Parts: sequence; structure tokens; C-alpha cells
Amino acid sequence: MSRPELTGHASLFYNEKEARKYDSSSRMVGIQREITERAIELLKLPSNRPSFILDVGCGSGLSGQVLEEHGHVWVGCDVSRDMLNMANERIERKREEAMGEGDSSEDDSDNDMNDNNDSNNDFNNSKGGTEESSPGDLLHHDMGTGLPFRPASFDACISISALQWLCYSNTKEQIPKKRLTASSHHYTKGARAVLQFYPESSEHAILISECAAKVGFAGGIVVDYPNSTKAKKHYLVLSFERSYKAPQGLTGLEGALLNEGRSGSGGVRVADKDPRRAAGKKSRGPPRKKKGGGKTKEWILHKKETQRKKGKDTRKDTKFTGRKRPMRF
Amino acid sequence: MRLLTHNFLQSNVRGTEKGYPLNIEVTTIKYEESPVDKEFLLNLLPKVNYNALVAAVKQMSPHCEQPLPELPETMDVSNAEQNQNLDDATISNLHKVLFDVYLVEGWLICPDTGRKFPVKECIPNMILHEDEI
Ligand SMILES: C[S@@+](CC[C@H](N)C(=O)[O-])C[C@H]1O[C@@H](n2cnc3c(N)ncnc32)[C@H](O)[C@@H]1O
Repeated sequence: MSRPELTGHASLFYNEKEARKYDSSSRMVGIQREITERAIELLKLPSNRPSFILDVGCGSGLSGQVLEEHGHVWVGCDVSRDMLNMANERIERKREEAMGEGDSSEDDSDNDMNDNNDSNNDFNNSKGGTEESSPGDLLHHDMGTGLPFRPASFDACISISALQWLCYSNTKEQIPKKRLTASSHHYTKGARAVLQFYPESSEHAILISECAAKVGFAGGIVVDYPNSTKAKKHYLVLSFERSYKAPQGLTGLEGALLNEGRSGSGGVRVADKDPRRAAGKKSRGPPRKKKGGGKTKEWILHKKETQRKKGKDTRKDTKFTGRKRPMRF
Repeated sequence: MRLLTHNFLQSNVRGTEKGYPLNIEVTTIKYEESPVDKEFLLNLLPKVNYNALVAAVKQMSPHCEQPLPELPETMDVSNAEQNQNLDDATISNLHKVLFDVYLVEGWLICPDTGRKFPVKECIPNMILHEDEI
């Protein structure tokens, strides 16, 4: 997998061409949708009521679109103005569609009636049914420099496929640790944040979870599908309850959260229980297994490859690479 | 940008004490009606800084074609239970000012440092220069 993060700053990578490509790729739309759905599930919002949510690294609004479908109101920030322009285009399209619907409102009055009788309604707003909320507001901002909001603004925060950008410094001034801890005080007490990211290596995953622990938030990393190179996803799940100490507090997410903070060697651990089962849902996909202590051959090869890309001295790959060593006494 | 977002936005330029609320300098605004979500509004209201909202409405209102709804000069919105008793007209007015009026082009100005953040096509640019971080 190529790493756009190594090419420089996100605002340069996500230029107009790249932003349009990203937003119009149906594969991308599908992946981002699935991840966002999972992030919302992990947020465990109170009784599914419409919440005020911050989307950090919102891009062209693919993740925001899913929030809207769940009836949430969101504010997004992103460092790439071209991605935000795509998000603006999406808002414009949505408005045009809404206006089109307004003209033919009589046609679907039957459906409205049915909706009202539907016991599956997520919330009873004035119109009844699960209304899609209006598009989110956008801000041009670099999350590495702290968020421009007063304390306790949001009910929750999501960040989908963006956090890994903070693990790299493009200039002397950009210190990953500082950038990772810069954005932390903007959530309502008891709020959750779910940040899905692509760590390049387990070091990055450790760096990210340590930064979270440093600013005093409880939580840990949930790894979905750890044995699949393609489907594997890391979610940093945080609770912004500063007083939070013991594991009992996390009743909703038993087993799906790490509270120990740093663990011996790994730092990243896989949820003991299938969080979907914990949430009372049928589990989809392969069962998640605990990640073994050893590093796999694939992992080592990948790691060496990226080290080489960074211009670091790395030993040649041989048939011995990643091979199990005989036990010694 | 809606006044909803403005109500939570704060300048974090180096040297700011509070950086809140940001003053609004309007070049263009737009008004677009949207359905009221009462449940969301009641959930949000205790977090709204009411004085900042009233001040923002005053800065936007002169630039609107139809005047924005008049809000009471002071109101205590911090108590969620008490807010349940708000009448529908007040709810609808609060919704209008929070959701339906947008700053399209203009500036947001940090009250402490005077730093001006440009707003273009509804998107405020809050990116800090290196010496402001
Ligand atoms: C893979 S896209 C994901 C966008 C969106 N969340 C989605 O699910 O489609 C990653 C986004 O993170 C943004 N990003 C990277 N570094 C950032 C930073 N320091 N501050 C804010 N956004 C950043 C990029 O501009 C890009 O839009």
C-alpha cells in the first residue's frame, strides 16, 4: 500500500484533481461509508438521539454524509481547501435535490404516513421518521494545531482515515507528538471520540495511543479484522471523562476498549470480545483473533520497504527474513 | 457558516486569552429555511452561549433582506429541564438564527488579538501562520 502521507502535507496531496478522484470513486465511497457506520456504532450515542458531532479531517464529506443519514448535525474541518470545495459541491447537489423533492411533495405523502407508524423511528422529530439532517458546516483548519472551539462544544467526535497524517513531520516545526495531543478539550463531558486511522507500523499505533493516554483520556484501540490485510481497521476509541478510572465505567463497550494504557510489547491489542456481539448484534465477517506477540513476515517486509522509502539503511530481504528462530536456552 | 458553528468557534492564535466570541464582519450572507428538529435543539441549547448568539444576530441582521427574528435580550438556556417549557415560537426563532442564516463571505475577528479570519464560500479559514501556533 502506498503512503500518501510520505509525499508531504495533506493540503498538497489532496489537490483539486486528487480531491475529485477521491470523491467520485465509488469504491472509496463504499469503504468510507462502512468505516463511518462502524465508528458511529462505537460512539454509543445516548439512545440514538440526534447529536452534535465534530468530524476531524472531514474531506469531501463522505463520512459526514453518513452522519447526516443518521440525523446528526456535524461540523467538519479539513486542511485541504480542495477537499472542502468538493464538500461544498456536495452540499449544493443536496440542496438542488431537496428543492426538486419539494415540488413533488404530494407524491410521497403515502410513504410519510407509513413512516409515522413505523416503530423503528430513531427519533420523533416534528416530521416523524428518521430525517436526514441538513448538511454540515465546514472549516478550513489544521487539526495538528489544536481545534478552534470553546471547551465542551460537541457531543462526540469522529475522524475517519485522517489521523495518520499527524504521524509525519513535513517541516522541522511539526512535531508529531505535539500535533497529536493538540486537539483534546472540545467535547462535552462524557463524550466519546472514535478515530479510525491507518498506522504505518505498530510504532505509529503506539505513538497515537500513548498521546491519547498522555492527555488523560481513557480508551484504547479496537482492531477489526486483524488477520486480513485489506479489511483490517484501527479505531482509537476515547472517552472524554477525565475522572474516569476503572474499567467498570465502560459498561457499554466491555472488552472492546483497552484501559490498561500501554501494554508490554504490543501497545495495540485486539478487542477480546467481538464488539459487535457485545453490542448485541450478529457479527459479520471473520472472527477477530488476538494478535500474537510475534511479528509476521509480511509485517517485517512491509516495514523494511517503508524504511527504504524513507531512505533509511535497511538490510536486504532474504529467505531468512521473518523466519522463526530456534529456541535457545 | 451558520451561527450554530459560530457560537462554538474560538480563535486559538498564540496570545489569545479567550478568543471568544469572534466578531463578524459581513460581506454577503444567505438565508435558507430548514425543518426544525426540536429534539436536537433542546439537546444543544444548554451548550449555547446565548449572549454570544444575540450579539452575532445583531451583527448579521442589518445585512439580511428579511430581518432575522428578534430574540429576547437575555435568556437562561443552561437548564435542559426548564428549556422543555419553551414555546414553539421561541424554538422556531432559535432554530432560524442558529441554522438558517449563513455567513457566505466576510471576516471573523478575534476579539483579543484583532486577527482576521477570512470566510470564503461559507468556509472560514482558521489556518494559523507558523508564528501564531
Ligand atoms: C482519506 S481522507 C478522509 C476524508 C473523510 N473523513 C472521508 O471519510 O471520506 C483524509 C483527509 O484528512 C485530511 N487531513 C490530513 N491531515 C490533516 C490535518 N492536519 N488537519 C485536518 N485535516 C487533515 C486530508 O486533507 C483528507 O481530506
